[in-house]
Amino acid sequence: MNSLRQMWRVACYEWFDALRSRRALVVLLLYMAAALCNMHWSINLLHKLESELATVLQLPQSESTGVVSTALWKSKPFQRIMRQMTQNDAVLQDITGKHPVELIYAWFAFFYTPLLVVLVAGNRIAEDLGSGTVRYMIFRISRASWTLGKFLGQTLMIGFALILSGVAAYAVARYRLAESAPPGLFANMLQWSARAWIFSIPYLGLAMGLSHLTRSASKATVMGIIAITFCFVATILLRHFAADTGWRAYLPHFGMLLPDAHKMCLWRSSPAPLATGSVYLLTLGFCYLLTGYAFFRKRDA
Amino acid sequence: MNAAIETTDLVKRYGARRALDGLTLAVPRFAVLGLVGPNGAGKTTWMMSVAGFLHIESGQIDLLGNGPFNPAVHAGRITILPQDSELPHESRPLELLTHYGLLQGLTRQEAAQSAAAMLDEVHLGDRFNAPIRSLSHGMRKRVMIAQCFLGYPEVVLLDEPLSGLDPREVAHMRAFLTKRRGRQTLVISSHNLHDIEVLCDHVAFIEKGRAVRLATLEELLGKASTLVYALTAEPADYAPLATAVPDATLTFDAAVSSLICKYDPHRATPGEINSRLLPALLPQCGVTTITCGANLETEYLKNL
Repeated sequence: MNSLRQMWRVACYEWFDALRSRRALVVLLLYMAAALCNMHWSINLLHKLESELATVLQLPQSESTGVVSTALWKSKPFQRIMRQMTQNDAVLQDITGKHPVELIYAWFAFFYTPLLVVLVAGNRIAEDLGSGTVRYMIFRISRASWTLGKFLGQTLMIGFALILSGVAAYAVARYRLAESAPPGLFANMLQWSARAWIFSIPYLGLAMGLSHLTRSASKATVMGIIAITFCFVATILLRHFAADTGWRAYLPHFGMLLPDAHKMCLWRSSPAPLATGSVYLLTLGFCYLLTGYAFFRKRDA
Repeated sequence: MNAAIETTDLVKRYGARRALDGLTLAVPRFAVLGLVGPNGAGKTTWMMSVAGFLHIESGQIDLLGNGPFNPAVHAGRITILPQDSELPHESRPLELLTHYGLLQGLTRQEAAQSAAAMLDEVHLGDRFNAPIRSLSHGMRKRVMIAQCFLGYPEVVLLDEPLSGLDPREVAHMRAFLTKRRGRQTLVISSHNLHDIEVLCDHVAFIEKGRAVRLATLEELLGKASTLVYALTAEPADYAPLATAVPDATLTFDAAVSSLICKYDPHRATPGEINSRLLPALLPQCGVTTITCGANLETEYLKNL
């Protein structure tokens, strides 16, 4: 109980301290600005595409962005194209009919969150090890409480960043779409933020786990970037080389150890795959973190 | 032995080099122990091993009779001022120390009160809410010292506590540490032998990862049983001196041109020795200073 309380105190202080740190604040604001700009440009692009499409298909022109896309979703040939892109019928079924603005934000959040994680949290532990700040902590609490507290604090920080980006993206969407904004857009965007937050946890575990291995903050950030790139590339390669027979049939199982393999579960609407994916991702996050911690536990501080 | 810290045969290697080479040392409860030794002797390594920062290869550590450092048992009872360790730059002294206090088991009220009192004690009462990054090196050092004394721990390990402080703060900190003598166990590592002499009642000489001598300052320097007369020249005739103080032992140290008089403190006071010896000494040579006991620097150099 005492350890949990100490862990929570470290987490709160870590979150508070990260918010105060100029570097984290700059990255957070940049991420928010990126979400805002992404939404603005995407709506511009979508509007242009829809206008072109309406001209080509000789449909009536609409001032509101998203109306044509929503209609397009329902067409069979378009669904066929999307099926090939997602390679997942269930996901396609679940996202069909959702407003494109919502999906643009979801894509943004899922794509950039790993980078946000590495830039904000990737060096927090290495920084404390390098500067010796950790030495003021580990004669007061256990190393495990410190690591888990830092992890929890950064998890809160990423959650906060995602909520802010969701709010910023919604504000732009609401302003640009005006009357044509679909009902419940705000709640839906926050829901995507929450899903991206779950998706961020294994990357957070990976970046912070790696951060235990070095005393150099910049080295920890570089290691984090290499690790997320590796995850991304490895997922593509494993998917590409997977086959139904022979040793290549085992490749998808290795893929389960990487966060991207579970990403599609977070795009689902039904609770079962969503819950399974979330549990997998949380477990992966803790496994990555604890692997790094196992090294720290045995090393000199 | 009623030891606050007892380390036996500690071995710690950094690569091929043995930083601790079977170091055995016992720090009595409520003692103020000074660790003296050259650079790389193992003083900091010993402190960091005791505080659980370093993993030792072999040997035993017993803290307050509860085995090696374990935060579940020792948090709040043992604290350390680590060397070359920075505080979080964006934190504020009061909030940071309150946070530390909470982590070591104090209630919120106790932690806040203790943090404010300690910051006042180190003359940072007006910088409670200034970011650490805006404080000077000396001020940061004072915050680091303050964090050691939160919640009145039983054992405090201080690695070079007075380095980097201005003369006024050094004097204040000496007084602050002296007040704790007999109430807390303090271990002070310092290259400034004058500080050790003023602050400590026990001294350990560390050399190449081993404790070569552990003694009370009294045993080492004989403050209560030795008078040292710095002379302008060696006395030509010792007979009148021996007659003046028949129970004392007189030796002349030519290296520092001093007459060392060892006496039994139960039979004579320093004043009585002076009143008997000086009339016999002054006709033969000049006396520049008289000090009680030997000098730690001299004793330390003798032990090398």
